[in-house]
Amino acid sequence: MIKLQNVNKSYQLDDEVIFIALNNINLEIEQGEFTSIIGPSGSGKSTLMHIIGLLDQPTSGLIFINNKDVSKLNDNELSSLRNTFVGFVFQQFNLINKLTVLENILIPTIYTRSKLEFDPIEKARYLLKRFGLETKEKSFPNKISGGQQQRVAIARALIMTPQLILADEPTGNLDTKSGSEILKLLHELHEQEKMTVVIVTHDPNIAATTNRKIEIKDGKIQ
Amino acid sequence: MNHFTFVLKSAIEDFSRNKGRTFLTSLGIVIGVLSVVILIAFGLGLRKYINDQFQSLGSNLIRVVPGQILRSGGFSSTGSMTTIRFDFRDILKLERVKSAEFVIPIVTRSITVSMGKGTEPATLYASTADIFLALNLKAQHGGIFTKNDVDKRSKIAVIGPKIAVKLFGNEDAAIGKNIKIDSQTFKIEGVLEAKGGGGFGGPDLDSFIYMPHTTAQVFNPDKKFYAIIVKSKSDINIETAKQEVKTAMLKRYKEDDFSVIDQAELLGAIESIFGVMNTVLVAIAAVSLVVGGIGIMNIMYVTVTERIKEIGIRRALGARTSDILLQFLVESVALSVLGGLMGLGFAYLIVFFIQNFFPAYIDLNSVVLALGVSSVIGIVFGVFPAKKAANLSPIDAIRSE
Ligand SMILES: Nc1ncnc2c1ncn2[C@@H]1O[C@H](COP(=O)(O)OP(=O)(O)O)[C@@H](O)[C@H]1O
Ligand SMILES: [Mg+2]
Repeated sequence: MIKLQNVNKSYQLDDEVIFIALNNINLEIEQGEFTSIIGPSGSGKSTLMHIIGLLDQPTSGLIFINNKDVSKLNDNELSSLRNTFVGFVFQQFNLINKLTVLENILIPTIYTRSKLEFDPIEKARYLLKRFGLETKEKSFPNKISGGQQQRVAIARALIMTPQLILADEPTGNLDTKSGSEILKLLHELHEQEKMTVVIVTHDPNIAATTNRKIEIKDGKIQ
Repeated sequence: MNHFTFVLKSAIEDFSRNKGRTFLTSLGIVIGVLSVVILIAFGLGLRKYINDQFQSLGSNLIRVVPGQILRSGGFSSTGSMTTIRFDFRDILKLERVKSAEFVIPIVTRSITVSMGKGTEPATLYASTADIFLALNLKAQHGGIFTKNDVDKRSKIAVIGPKIAVKLFGNEDAAIGKNIKIDSQTFKIEGVLEAKGGGGFGGPDLDSFIYMPHTTAQVFNPDKKFYAIIVKSKSDINIETAKQEVKTAMLKRYKEDDFSVIDQAELLGAIESIFGVMNTVLVAIAAVSLVVGGIGIMNIMYVTVTERIKEIGIRRALGARTSDILLQFLVESVALSVLGGLMGLGFAYLIVFFIQNFFPAYIDLNSVVLALGVSSVIGIVFGVFPAKKAANLSPIDAIRSE
């Protein structure tokens, strides 16, 4: 489903120093896989995830999505793919605090250019109910717990029924109990809905629960 | 819910959460719109006031006055102090003009009227009996003077209601009483209906004292007239009538010695003065609108900086650059229009109070103008901050703290 070919990402820190964040990454993720990307802090996990999710562009190398080279796509086309193809889940939840829980979940639906095949509010309410948040619809994100916020973020990632869920340390800001609940939820999505999931983590225990593990260190796959 | 209504709704919710900041930001627009709308309301009121004044003077009137009082759309500052004065020969000549219904001479002077111990300044306005018809004057108490009074030089006067009240306490009491002007005694024949007016430098018609011009010759021994009013026949075009009057006058006077004017022309001259005044005032108001716009631009730059993370989140969820541009543009326009609406609201309040003593009013054009101008300002001054927001790179935005 996704293929990265000789992907490099480097940052020009000043006139002389170039920092290499990703070093010749080759990787392929198949439909229906539950993959973890594991590595120490600063190893380039988030950078890799952002590139897979088309939020960032590689300095060199090719990316194929469903066998289509996306390096030539313009900003509008990339935005559309982010809107419909991927669902992001971040460590810091990244909800918009001045919008209600329901409005946060609806954000992707307002940016879509094709006609929706579902009723956005109905679907958002279905997801809220499924994640045990039906009473929080009108709450603001900073008024609910971290575990609840992350479930809202997952609902938002799911509203457009993406083919791929990218979760960047989704349990990193949570206590153990809420963290394992979130992990369980991601596993449910994978098992029940055959969702393709990539989870970024530095926790070997989490990586151990996935059926595929990619280790990264200093920007290189081990 | 489509994108636009969603964005508009969240912008408005944002403003209601930050009422103080929203108000301060749009203050420039509030003041700008307020002053433009008030100025226009005053202009409209003034125009209406002047129109009403002219209406009350009657229509189809042509005035022949000495000198050049109008020049290319404005009042002439020179030339009105000419030496010529009209006399009875001019009246006779104008009476032969085909389109003239009647011709009346005008003698006017500033005088002091006394009655017992009290004295009052007033304006003497002497003419024929047709003056009441021409100027639409009706007696409220008593009567007016007649052609017979003019022929007999009756020592009578018809006075305005204001001067009547000043001299006699009430209008009724004046009838049949005597007044003295320069040691001459006149009997009051009637008191006229109020015409309004006065103030703003205009003639206070209600303080005029009317008498036959023949009677007034005691104050006007050389029998010259200050002006001549010609009432044209109602079925005749006023321009034709004016041309005929002018031709008749040219037989005796040079072109520069006199002016032939009608209401519309006088009104036009006054309006062109207001036009200049309005342009200056509107320009001043425009400056405050621009200052208001710059205020909005500033706050929008601050907003964009504060919300870089939000922009990154929206981009990660599929927002295009144009979506972000639209979002911030809608916010700046909403902010500006909100200021416009507040300005309009304050203007309504102020005009409401002003209406107690002046007929200022806000018309639909002002409302459209206020909202149009504030939208344009919102767009013009919002577009730079919105462009900045739209052009942020998604990854830098979402990685920002
Ligand atoms: N915009 C940038 N400029 C310079 N260095 C960056 C930038 N973004 C990320 N990096 C660096 O790239 C490395 C990898 O970052 P990241 O992918 O966030 O690591 P991880 O998620 O594995 O902790 C880090 O050392 C980070 O400092
Ligand atoms: Mg990271």
